Amino acid sequence: MHLFWIDFGTGLATAAVVALAATGLTLQFGITNYINFAYGDFMGLGALLTFALNNQAFHLNFWIAAPIAAILVGVFAVIANQLLLAPFARRFSNPALTMIVTFGLSLFMANVATVIWTGNTLFFRMPISVDKKVGPFLWSPDVMIVMGFAVLVMVMIHLLLKTTRLGKMMRALSDNTSLALTSGIDVRQITNVTWFMSGLLAGLGGIALAVEEANLTVTSAESYLFVIFAAVILGGIGSVYGAMLGALAIGLLTETAPLYINAGYKLDVGFFIVIVLLLFRPQGLVPRLGRS
Amino acid sequence: MPTMVADNISSGYGKNLIIRNISLEVDAKKVTTIVGPNGAGKSTFAKTVVGLLKAQTGSIVVNGDDLTKVPAYKIPGRGLAYVPQVQNVFVSMTVQENLEIGGFVTKGNTHDRMEEILATFKDLEKARHKRAGFLSGGQQNMLAIARALMVNPSVIVLDEPTAGLSPAYTNVVWEEIGRIAESGTAVLVVEQNVERAIVHSDYVHVFVAGQNHVHGTKEEIAQLDLASIFLGRSEATKS
Repeated sequence: MHLFWIDFGTGLATAAVVALAATGLTLQFGITNYINFAYGDFMGLGALLTFALNNQAFHLNFWIAAPIAAILVGVFAVIANQLLLAPFARRFSNPALTMIVTFGLSLFMANVATVIWTGNTLFFRMPISVDKKVGPFLWSPDVMIVMGFAVLVMVMIHLLLKTTRLGKMMRALSDNTSLALTSGIDVRQITNVTWFMSGLLAGLGGIALAVEEANLTVTSAESYLFVIFAAVILGGIGSVYGAMLGALAIGLLTETAPLYINAGYKLDVGFFIVIVLLLFRPQGLVPRLGRS
Repeated sequence: MPTMVADNISSGYGKNLIIRNISLEVDAKKVTTIVGPNGAGKSTFAKTVVGLLKAQTGSIVVNGDDLTKVPAYKIPGRGLAYVPQVQNVFVSMTVQENLEIGGFVTKGNTHDRMEEILATFKDLEKARHKRAGFLSGGQQNMLAIARALMVNPSVIVLDEPTAGLSPAYTNVVWEEIGRIAESGTAVLVVEQNVERAIVHSDYVHVFVAGQNHVHGTKEEIAQLDLASIFLGRSEATKS
């Protein structure tokens, strides 16, 4: 079996995880115009709540615990926005100031998570999944489910944004908030829906990451945040399709890099290539037309 | 009975009042235009009427329905549509999607209304699957007007609909405004170009320093020395 294809397969699995999370981050950025530094902690919360439901409190089956946890993260995201971020965003015209508040939220969430779940490595209570040969690739059944699920989610997001009234309202709001308001869109309601979806996708991304890595810690998703940022920036900030494409590029670049250099530098190589690409295409791979 | 009555409106940003005690009426089938120098409060008035700014005094009534405290997003559904001066289309969405967004406040199927509008705006029909960001400035303004018409409004407020357009396209836009009024809609236009406003309007209000300084039919306003009025001198007539 050719090593390149094995790493390529791992890259696709990583891309699936990154795509779930990056899509959620870019949806949220599209309507708020500031980067949410607590997004990695939202991801972590998804995985940790799954762990709690699956292995601590209710001993639910993993595949039942995971969606419940992701929905809880979605609800948490709406509450965090309503109670903390939105009041600051209304007060400050400069989005960078609200971004600093998200950084504070990140520190708060990370510390609370450490108090509750400690710094130990945690494991979901689920059967051990052994890698299987699938064509030229090597994937475990769990990872294949994660990848299939990520593709399904991407298709659903595409259909939502392109064909439904809700999706078109979300796009309109992302495009021009003031015009959306005077066109009859309930901006507050659609903002809540978007935050919920962003939180849901963060939660799913965090759970998918834990499945792919076969374990989790309170900081594993948080440290993944810059990979997500890279995918979003590479794809074109605020562009959902860009985030999907950026995730694919980042996943493949970082996972195939160890074929040529020390594996310890795989993220550095990925980011270096992103920097080079952005030098020639600073607007990203799929730029969003101007936001108002 | 006028379609829209704005009575004693004062508004601004925070504690800074930009317009004070402005009253005006807009009738169905008529084009009413607000002119005035920069900073006179024309756009502030338009934004207050459509709920983007809160009226600190007074009331806005459309077809007998008091809209003063109605949230901005509910106002199009109550018969008052707005076309902003700039950034008046959803640039990343297609022409058709822009029109769909305009029709979302109506409960029923908007397809027929959209086809009706596209039949009127031929340029838009040809570009219906093109993203609005790739349209010319004139086409974008037409799309913005078409989007506002999707709700079949009783009143349409247009903030400088010809700003930045070529003279040829400016005429096209004014012709369209005339057609909208003829169809029964009350039209309120904010306009910088006084001469053009007088030619195309039925009634003209002249705002100076945040107040409705003088108003009258276009023939009455044409008799006034507007340059002097803009400079703050009162009621000057042409010599």
